[in-house]
Amino acid sequence: MAKVRGLLVWIASLAVLLLLPGLFDSVLSLSILNQMGITIIFALSYNMLLGQGGMLSFGHAVYFGLGGFMAVHSLNYIEAEVFSLPVILLPLIGGLFGLLFAVFIGSFSTRRAGTVFAMISLGIGEMIAACSLIFVGFFGGEEGISGDRTMAPEFFGFDFAQDLEVYYLIAGWVFVATLLMYLFSQTPAGRIANAVRDNPERAEFIGYSQRMVRFISFCGAGFFAGVAGGLFAINYEILTEENLNAITSGNVLLMTYIGGTGVFVGPIVGAVLLTLLQTVLSNYTELWQLYVGLLFVATVMFMPAGLTGVLMIHTVAWKNGRLRQLILPYITVGVPAFVLLCAIVGLLEMLQFYRHGVVGEHEMTLFFVSVDTSSVWPWIVTLLIAATAGYLVKALTPRLLSAWASANAPLERAKT
Amino acid sequence: MNSILSLTGVSKSFDATEIIRSVDLDIIEGERHAIIGPNGAGKSTLYNLITGRYSVSQGSIRLRGRELAGLQPFEINRLGLARSFQVTNIFSNLTVFENIRCALLWSMQYRYSFWHLVRKQKQLNEESEQVLQQIGLGARKDMLAGVLTYAEQRSLELGITIAGGADVILLDEPVAGMSHTEADQSVELIKRISEGKTLVVVEHDMGVVFNLADRISVLVYGEIIATGVPEEIRNDIKVQEAYLGSLDEQDA
Ligand SMILES: Nc1ncnc2c1ncn2[C@@H]1O[C@H](COP(=O)(O)OP(=O)(O)OP(=O)(O)O)[C@@H](O)[C@H]1O
Ligand SMILES: [Mg+2]
Repeated sequence: MAKVRGLLVWIASLAVLLLLPGLFDSVLSLSILNQMGITIIFALSYNMLLGQGGMLSFGHAVYFGLGGFMAVHSLNYIEAEVFSLPVILLPLIGGLFGLLFAVFIGSFSTRRAGTVFAMISLGIGEMIAACSLIFVGFFGGEEGISGDRTMAPEFFGFDFAQDLEVYYLIAGWVFVATLLMYLFSQTPAGRIANAVRDNPERAEFIGYSQRMVRFISFCGAGFFAGVAGGLFAINYEILTEENLNAITSGNVLLMTYIGGTGVFVGPIVGAVLLTLLQTVLSNYTELWQLYVGLLFVATVMFMPAGLTGVLMIHTVAWKNGRLRQLILPYITVGVPAFVLLCAIVGLLEMLQFYRHGVVGEHEMTLFFVSVDTSSVWPWIVTLLIAATAGYLVKALTPRLLSAWASANAPLERAKT
Repeated sequence: MNSILSLTGVSKSFDATEIIRSVDLDIIEGERHAIIGPNGAGKSTLYNLITGRYSVSQGSIRLRGRELAGLQPFEINRLGLARSFQVTNIFSNLTVFENIRCALLWSMQYRYSFWHLVRKQKQLNEESEQVLQQIGLGARKDMLAGVLTYAEQRSLELGITIAGGADVILLDEPVAGMSHTEADQSVELIKRISEGKTLVVVEHDMGVVFNLADRISVLVYGEIIATGVPEEIRNDIKVQEAYLGSLDEQDA
């Protein structure tokens, strides 16, 4: 039964991957989809470290970037007829190179988790980023390295000149890589990685070397990050220092954490959401990075299990058949919370417009309303709305909490 | 008689203080051996030395004649020696079932395999179920270990220790903090699981000790002052002076 359901989920995912371009067929949406796919693999690989293995890395982009660079170089070698390889296998080269480097770094960085691991990852990240400006032959200096995917031999008549072809290439890899990473989490090495994450010391007393367990996860994460890098190389046909520096490492940490590290699909949700914010929201506001930062801070403070984690904690209430009790409290808190959010966004946008807008322009459009930022009234009104909404949220939250407690109550009793 | 675990001249110092002083101890194959002694005597430290958590300052520890010095805890465990902890040491964010299954993996030869799906391993899952039944946590199977009650967590601690089928088992205060009934149940459980194995148990509860042990060693200030069958220990003058003043009251 559970087996059938599992299979159905995979088949449905495959169907969605195949059908998406039919729904979103503009050039822009295809490019967003491609970016999403690459990011999904990258974030899932990151979660092999953070969520499953308990390793907080500040340098995961290194494996992504190195895999990507190797893939671009391979494209150029293929073009120069040094060797021949269909484009669809290029991510494998990225993956193997990521793996190779992970074997090397992991051999000493996985001895301990925690701060030591985090600091080493940061150091390696900085080091490789610095190297990229020194070893110009491999990293191409500031311009990076570019290639041409259409020069590779055709694959059953596809030369990948069109974005749609690239989409299907990426989608295929997303499916395979996701499946493989999921299956890994279900193997002895994957299960014991969770145990080492929870309690490395105890794991040693049931026969497992914590270091070896981490090393294996680390290598897997390096491999799949390299695969994502290879896909990046195919999609954009250029790799630069940006793709392996701390910003990219930070991004993958952000999206994995926001999506949720405790659930397998968490990083997928995070990758989709963050890619949308990056590509769509950035069209509407220059402040989008600030909002991403706020979202991250809010996640850390209010829902450390991430978005999917928040959904997961409802399973108890759901199993108890009491999810309905929560709907009304959620709405009563949710509406003022949403208004509060909009008011804060409004204030930030007005401030941004006031400080950096075109000189002499005072009129801006905010949530479909025209606002004159030189007048004091919009500010006062927005502040008042924010204050009222904030007060309502604060006043209504206790009710939500008690509703929450009663919806989950039967478990509490069953425990004793 | 065959000694399976033997300590000769084992000492351990932390900085300048010598916590374990030249301990000689022979655990005989198949026996149930209790180690008693006042708080801070060094009982847990002795366990930490045997299991490789700390390194010995001096002396040698042998398991079936094999020197353990320099081995990591996981290597010692693979030689068939398992321990439980005085302070519950479980995988709190894994389910109860997963805790036990993880404890079985190495002994069932899965090692670091990433080509078996645990779900499909029939024998592995059946044995995990069996251990769960044995420790009485069958009904808690799918709960996170962290939300179990204290007594249940102690049972799980025991389950993780015995799951791998080690034939030398070291328990550190397995019934401390339990109610009378819970403790009685645990003692029965310990008797059952230690059948055909070698058991070493550190315990303060004298009732439990005299009920369980074939032989007893008394550790005081890092030294073993006596080893013998319960009757001998009860009548030992040194033991009475150093430690057992309270024994007769408890035993009565
Ligand atoms: N890692 C350590 N570093 C320094 N001192 C330690 C360390 N571990 C234990 N000790 C000291 O060794 C002594 C013995 O501790 P141990 O925990 O072995 O006693 P115990 O016999 O198990 O006591 P209890 O019955 O209370 O569990 C204590 O004085 C303790 O402070
Ligand atoms: Mg102790």
